[in-house]
Amino acid sequence: MGEVTGYPDQRRRPRPRNGPLAGIRVADFCWMGVGSVATRLLADFGAEVIKIEDRTRIDTPRKLPLYKGEGARNFGEEVVGADPDKGGLFNNYCRNKLGVTINMRSPEGRQLAERLIKASSVVTENFAPGVMERWGLSYERIRELRPDVIYARMSGYGHSGPHAAYRSYGPVVQAVSGLSYISGLPGREPSGWGLSYMDNQAAFYNSAAILMAIRRRALTGEGTEVDVSAVETGISLLGPVLLDVTVNGRVTRGQSYPAGNRLEHPDAAPHGVYPARGEDRWVAIAVFTDEEWDRFADAIGRPGWTRDARFATQRSRWANQDVLDERIAAWTVLRDRYEVTKLLQDAGVRAGAVQNAEDLNETDPQVEHRGVFFEMDHPVIGEARFEGVPIRFAETSADNWRSGPLLGEDNEFVFTELLGVGADEYAELASAGAI
Amino acid sequence: MTADRSGLMTADTGASLPGPYSDLRVVELAGDPAGEALGKLMATMGADVVKVELPEGAASRHIGPMVGGARDGDPDASLNFWFYNVSKRSVIIDYQAADGMARLRGLLRRADIVITGWRPADWAAHGITPDDLRTDAPALIIANLSPFGLDGPWADMVSSDLVGLALGGPLNSCGYDDHSIPPIRPGGDQGYQLTASFGHIGVLLALLERDRTGHGQLVDVAMHDCLSVSAELANPYWFYPRVLVHRQTCRHAQPTPTQPALFATADDRYVYFALITAEQKPWQSLVEWLKSKRLAADLTDPAYDDPGYRLANFAHIQQIVEVFFLLQTASDSYHEGQQRGLPIGVLNAPEDLPGDEHLATRGFFVPVHDDAPGGPHLYPGPPIRFSAFAPAPVTRAPRLGEHTAEVLGGAA
Repeated sequence: MGEVTGYPDQRRRPRPRNGPLAGIRVADFCWMGVGSVATRLLADFGAEVIKIEDRTRIDTPRKLPLYKGEGARNFGEEVVGADPDKGGLFNNYCRNKLGVTINMRSPEGRQLAERLIKASSVVTENFAPGVMERWGLSYERIRELRPDVIYARMSGYGHSGPHAAYRSYGPVVQAVSGLSYISGLPGREPSGWGLSYMDNQAAFYNSAAILMAIRRRALTGEGTEVDVSAVETGISLLGPVLLDVTVNGRVTRGQSYPAGNRLEHPDAAPHGVYPARGEDRWVAIAVFTDEEWDRFADAIGRPGWTRDARFATQRSRWANQDVLDERIAAWTVLRDRYEVTKLLQDAGVRAGAVQNAEDLNETDPQVEHRGVFFEMDHPVIGEARFEGVPIRFAETSADNWRSGPLLGEDNEFVFTELLGVGADEYAELASAGAI
Repeated sequence: MTADRSGLMTADTGASLPGPYSDLRVVELAGDPAGEALGKLMATMGADVVKVELPEGAASRHIGPMVGGARDGDPDASLNFWFYNVSKRSVIIDYQAADGMARLRGLLRRADIVITGWRPADWAAHGITPDDLRTDAPALIIANLSPFGLDGPWADMVSSDLVGLALGGPLNSCGYDDHSIPPIRPGGDQGYQLTASFGHIGVLLALLERDRTGHGQLVDVAMHDCLSVSAELANPYWFYPRVLVHRQTCRHAQPTPTQPALFATADDRYVYFALITAEQKPWQSLVEWLKSKRLAADLTDPAYDDPGYRLANFAHIQQIVEVFFLLQTASDSYHEGQQRGLPIGVLNAPEDLPGDEHLATRGFFVPVHDDAPGGPHLYPGPPIRFSAFAPAPVTRAPRLGEHTAEVLGGAA
């Protein structure tokens, strides 16, 4: 029955996958950021990830206005009625996945979802706690459908506790976990994060949790439910300051914390981001030892101020960072950020230009050499660039077979060919609005 | 419904199996937080992680903060070390000497995974190659987490968390609205932590591959590669509309400026709340909330039912909301806002976390009997919970060389 499914472009027809996860089918209820990034990793390495969408509640990354060939729009500036298939962020998050639509509010839709779960061995979701249960999809029910299932549940606060129902997205998780508070200049409001860092990190912890569960199931035959709280993941990333608080009883609230670009430990100095020639151009410099300072001073030609007694030792430089930073900024501001980078790196001093996305994509020779980015074609968007998985294996590679699915693109393939839904029933599901 | 450490809403499923890594032996040669955090992730999930240190101890033992009252130079009193090295064992091997390297290679023959953090120049200085290690032990997985990876024009450059975040791109998105202030590095060691996360995924994929093929492989993870794909929207904004994002105070970097999302509260703290007026339901929730405190001002005027009118008067709305939060405490704002269905976050400081009722109910912080006076002390528990696997206990970081005899049979 291979020819029954109509793909206008046969290259988009799913084919057997390669990689360490080949043969694993995932019923993927994830949406938004965390879940989509978590299951993308599975799709990249060979899992058959079937993304389940709701036509009446379009996944947000489809709607965020990151459109090729159109101008700058902030991500809150959605365009009413825009084509859901032209969203760049969705393409970025959902490459290598299959896409189906199921209306989970209809009984026929829920039955269809159960058939899909039965034919899968991993189920993923990142709804608010309780949504899957409302559809009858508790772990107990899913285990009835598939006894060795891995049921991966990704949420802001985890699936128990008094705040389990609180709403969150990246910036809220960063705030509540402490990651925002520990970021900024002393005596000012926190600068926090200019991105949903925790959408990424929580996603990676979820990917890892699923891979752990897959491996253990292969060894023991046992499935599991997985509960990863993004807030708890964020707390686990706070670093040693957390033990300074719980062990030493430190109170961080006050005028001297956090330290901006400086370090409290070790006594690295200079350790900062300095202005370079040009508008809003910056270069980071980090000197950790007296030997590194000697090389730094040599590299910049040992101007007189480097012999200032206040800069004689690591400890004294650290204690006099205000004046040290002024001297260094006066030197860097006259120079190109890459010129400073090269001069200092050639001397074995840790330094690097602050790069933006254009720099990384168009001129960074290391990213180019390592092949971090790659391109795939998309029926609506055209050729698009993607962020590859930044892991180089000697003997394993990502299987990038297709760009992100069009809305419902794989309905016929998945429902008729994989699940065996007959042609009449398929037509009924469509006309009943179940898919 | 249970609310035990397994944390899941489901009925008791047993949690009888040992941790998911309980069959694995890991040797960790890492000296920076990337490799150490990877080792910690594996140790807290049940792996036997043996940290191999030179006689002077890992560099991380000599970085503060130190336990209060510790003597200078004590290798066993660094909270930096304790944070990244719980649940591991410590073995001293002077692998810079020939017989030490032989002993290390002997240990690696019995290991499933080795975590290194070396540049090509460092491998050369140690006089070995990844291939040498694989020849000794074909099933060994080598996870090398280095600044720029094992090849390419920058492979031997030096880096740090700050430098890595600068070159890799995330730093460009972080800082203040005032662009005379440089980009500001987010706290912790997040450049290293992202590298550890990809290292972890790399190890897992290599393990799955090994379970099929029987042999290990080199997993080459570069902090620079990891960070260059970790600035969230910055790359997609370049891939698609080809625009750059610009940093803003504690909110998303965007192509053009947006309204502040950080609000000061009556108790001199902050909450994060992205005021979005386009959607009707959250707008109504917000106005109801303001009304309940008699602080809605003119926002109850029916004219505000129209999203267009709200957009045109956004600055006015923002001002009213600013005043509102200035009259509430951060904690009240957080909980009451959330109870009204609004995604609002309190900016917790680290000292606010152990007392958080939600975290306490989930048993997230666990007591650890460490070497500091007044213990046990609370440490963060593993953020990944499985219904089928019992969590591995979090045990204190090892003293320098504490397990040399038991691991090497006293032959160190």
